[in-house]
Amino acid sequence: MGALFSFYNAYDQLLLFVAINALLALSIYATLSAGMLSLANGAFMGIGAYTSALLTLRQHWPFPASLLAGCLVAGAIGFLLGLPVLRLRGVFLAIATLGFGEVMRIAALNWDVTGGPLGLPAIPAYTQLWEVVLALAALSYYFVRLRHSRAGHALLAIREDESAARTMGINTFYYKNFAFVAGALIAGLAGGFSAHQTHSIEPANFTFSLAVTILIYAIVGGTGAFWGPMLGSTLLTVLPETLRFLKDYRGVFDGLVLLAIILFLPNGLMSLFQWRPGRAAGKVRSAAPSLDAVEA
Amino acid sequence: MRFSRFLAPLTTLAVLGLAACGGGAAPASSAPASPTAASPAAAASKPAAAASASAKPAASGAASAKPAASGAAGAKTANIGAAFSLTGPGSPYGPVQKNAVLLAQDDLNKAGGVTLNIDVQDDASAKEQGINVFQSFIKGNDVAIMGPTLSGLALATDPLAQDAKTPVLGVSNTAGGITTIGDYIFRDSLAEEQVVPAMVKAVVDKYNPKKVAIMYANDQPFAKSGADAVKKEMDDRKIQVTDTETFASNDKDFSAQLTKIKGTNPDAIFISALADAGANIVAQARKLGIPDSVHIIGGNGMNSPQIAKIAGPAAEGIIVGAAWIDSSPNPQSQAFVKAYKAKYNLDPDQFAAQAYAGVQILSDALKRANLSGDTAKDRTALRDALAQTKNVDTVLGKFSFTSGRDADHPPVVQVIKDGKFVLFS
Amino acid sequence: MSIFLQQVVNTLFQGSIYALFALGYTLVFGVLDILNLAHSAVFMWGAFMALLLVTKLGLNIVLAFVLAMIGSGLLGILLDRVAFAPLRKRGASNLAPLISSIAMAIIFQSAALGLFGGLVYRFPPGTAPSADIGAGGVHVDVLQVIIFAVAVVLMVALQLLLQRTRLGKSIRAVAENQKAARLLGIHVERVIAITFCISSALGGAAGVLVGLSLNAIAPDMGQAIELKGLAVIIIGGMGSIPGAVIAGFLLAATEVFTISFISSTVRDAIAFGLLFLVLLIWPSGILGRRALREA
Repeated sequence: MGALFSFYNAYDQLLLFVAINALLALSIYATLSAGMLSLANGAFMGIGAYTSALLTLRQHWPFPASLLAGCLVAGAIGFLLGLPVLRLRGVFLAIATLGFGEVMRIAALNWDVTGGPLGLPAIPAYTQLWEVVLALAALSYYFVRLRHSRAGHALLAIREDESAARTMGINTFYYKNFAFVAGALIAGLAGGFSAHQTHSIEPANFTFSLAVTILIYAIVGGTGAFWGPMLGSTLLTVLPETLRFLKDYRGVFDGLVLLAIILFLPNGLMSLFQWRPGRAAGKVRSAAPSLDAVEA
Repeated sequence: MRFSRFLAPLTTLAVLGLAACGGGAAPASSAPASPTAASPAAAASKPAAAASASAKPAASGAASAKPAASGAAGAKTANIGAAFSLTGPGSPYGPVQKNAVLLAQDDLNKAGGVTLNIDVQDDASAKEQGINVFQSFIKGNDVAIMGPTLSGLALATDPLAQDAKTPVLGVSNTAGGITTIGDYIFRDSLAEEQVVPAMVKAVVDKYNPKKVAIMYANDQPFAKSGADAVKKEMDDRKIQVTDTETFASNDKDFSAQLTKIKGTNPDAIFISALADAGANIVAQARKLGIPDSVHIIGGNGMNSPQIAKIAGPAAEGIIVGAAWIDSSPNPQSQAFVKAYKAKYNLDPDQFAAQAYAGVQILSDALKRANLSGDTAKDRTALRDALAQTKNVDTVLGKFSFTSGRDADHPPVVQVIKDGKFVLFS
Repeated sequence: MSIFLQQVVNTLFQGSIYALFALGYTLVFGVLDILNLAHSAVFMWGAFMALLLVTKLGLNIVLAFVLAMIGSGLLGILLDRVAFAPLRKRGASNLAPLISSIAMAIIFQSAALGLFGGLVYRFPPGTAPSADIGAGGVHVDVLQVIIFAVAVVLMVALQLLLQRTRLGKSIRAVAENQKAARLLGIHVERVIAITFCISSALGGAAGVLVGLSLNAIAPDMGQAIELKGLAVIIIGGMGSIPGAVIAGFLLAATEVFTISFISSTVRDAIAFGLLFLVLLIWPSGILGRRALREA
């Protein structure tokens, strides 16, 4: 028990990063599971972070309130963004969300209220690991229930073939918006937690690069179930230490890993856990949706 | 199928366990550096930059790699952690600082006194990794931390050290709001607000400009601080600012902004940026026909021998306000320049000088601090000794801290003549 | 007036760079319906290839330029073989090649970082001609004119290739319908490889020109232009060569005049705002033909 405690003591920051990155992984799962490639999660995280930090710093709101507010503002903006943007297919949605993210970042960079390039320093560190873990647990439960619910089936249908789903009478617009807003809410929550962990936030923390990183969590972990991206995020948050000897070339290794996954294990690492004896190796035909069905 | 549901949490725990046994505080850098980062990729904009952080065994029972500051009779050893940006956007500066710090360690250990054991780790210019590196230093038995390279990162990492009552000495942080984090945070790098007034005074005294234009990198905190400081000086002196233009750190083409500035006919242009951008701006400005009579003035960031190399003849006449000049007559500085060049075959710049001085300052404070071997006590003792630093001989000249723990030494104003920096007069 | 003219010069120059870079993107998208995010890495490597040829082998810049284009083209073929062809065989959706291209971009860029470090490199002085040939208060460097001319020549050459040659016809056929093209006897895999080759050669060419004109070559030089390139192809219409050209100049004009008349702080926001607007209101872009909404 003592060992566990000292482990926690030494690694509490790292564990927080793991937990928050897992939240981000869930946020992209929310949209990918509906077949949408959204690259706006970095921006939503930023919106959640800035909103909650501003409320804590300027209005002295208690942490749960500012956290919730950050989450909701991100969700609201997600809703507004979704209205025009979700009509776009695949890669155009990706580019539109990317553009949105950039505009948000540049706005934050130039607005006094958000502190410009310096951002918001001196944010009190209220985030505790148990809070994030609680959020993760709650969301995991939500996703498990969602999967077997009517909404979950609708999302799966949309993911596999949107036109067919619509023909069958599924209100694709409603469900896609629902998934998009869910992703924004979760990312906003992650942002609020992150801001109150790292003491300061700046626009440079929420770039398109972050959105791509989150996408890579999902690819590496697998998008078949909610825990796939979380697996990816945990691995990719923790693993780098063992590769430090590669120095600048570490990126080459990362790229090779990603390439290997997409070429040979397209359903991510989680598909390793879903191998069933008797099936042809590599061809997992479980009920888990495959990456290849996601439109881009 | 149901079983697979438990695999995720199990795997997560297993991976965490492996990480712990694998040794030491890990950088939490998330996935591979995405090459598709946003265009104005400011400092720390690649949160997932290549990680090569500390693999020091942390306090999880694994054997400590470093001896605690021993109180044994005779040689005392102080463990110092240094977090520099060896990769990522800050990587032009981190390696230079690392070089300087290791050179200083050698020089000072030869000279006697408390033996320094400096452990340089990479913060990858990323918040996550920086925080993890700092935490590993704090949980280890480092009595002080140097760095991080970037001001933006410092705002995230220094509070951790403040909470843990571990002194931090920034050697390149020049933005505002850093030393105000708490009484354990110090810096030896002159802030832009400290350099700008002297620089402006020198220019105004000599050239008396009536109208000026300002250009700065709007995604760098220090650049904005610098531009704000210049603006304030202009307002105080009732000099008209004809135009203020911005650009992104990795922009390479400034013709549109410069053309607009040219149209407003300023007598001088103030630039707040790093050397690379500054040099390109100057070169393009001259190409666009902005005459030599329009003086170009830069702050801390432009204090680098690179400027003359990059801008060539266009660099003649650039005025730079900074903390250090490589031709400084200070004997320590001269020795440092020689030694650095001999060891690394490179000319040192201000980043190197301030890093070297940082080690000198720490060494001096350690002498006065009376180390006992108890890490927590030593950190506080060191902090108090640092606060009392007065007129220590360093490569920057005689150094003291202000009451706000900022650097207190006069800035230098220099100008480029024949491709080299000389004192401006 | 001379200030205005100067800004026009700036626009023409910047626009030609954007257009040239975007051509590679749009070509691949038009033919294969995938966004090749490794394009900016090839752009960067083209610049480094030319740099190495000039500094290590002492070649003159024209020869280095041509060789760098060829080298980039080869990189493009490599890209296709390693990252895209296997996915086509598998019948993967479009997300997979996108990710694959990201992976290759990471590899290319990290390799450059490892080999060259984070420093900025420059061509040795005198590599390219440099003289002010402007008049009347407007300053134009002869290098800018050369770059503009080269870019235009390449754009015209590409259009001619596509419209007037057999190869061009094959490429357009594959773009229209891969299955039908195969049935018509077109060697689809070879055509695709050639498309990547051309696209990357253009990207590399853009890299050399940018490296020359801005006197800066660094592993991250592709990032700034990449997002602009995306904006250009959206505005111009994905898959349309003339569209990319027009949009390239349009974007440059918007940026330059934003700086002149509004403020440089919002320059990038305007570019992306424009992108956004185009996507929402006029999704096929200026000259695009692709279906952008779900069928």
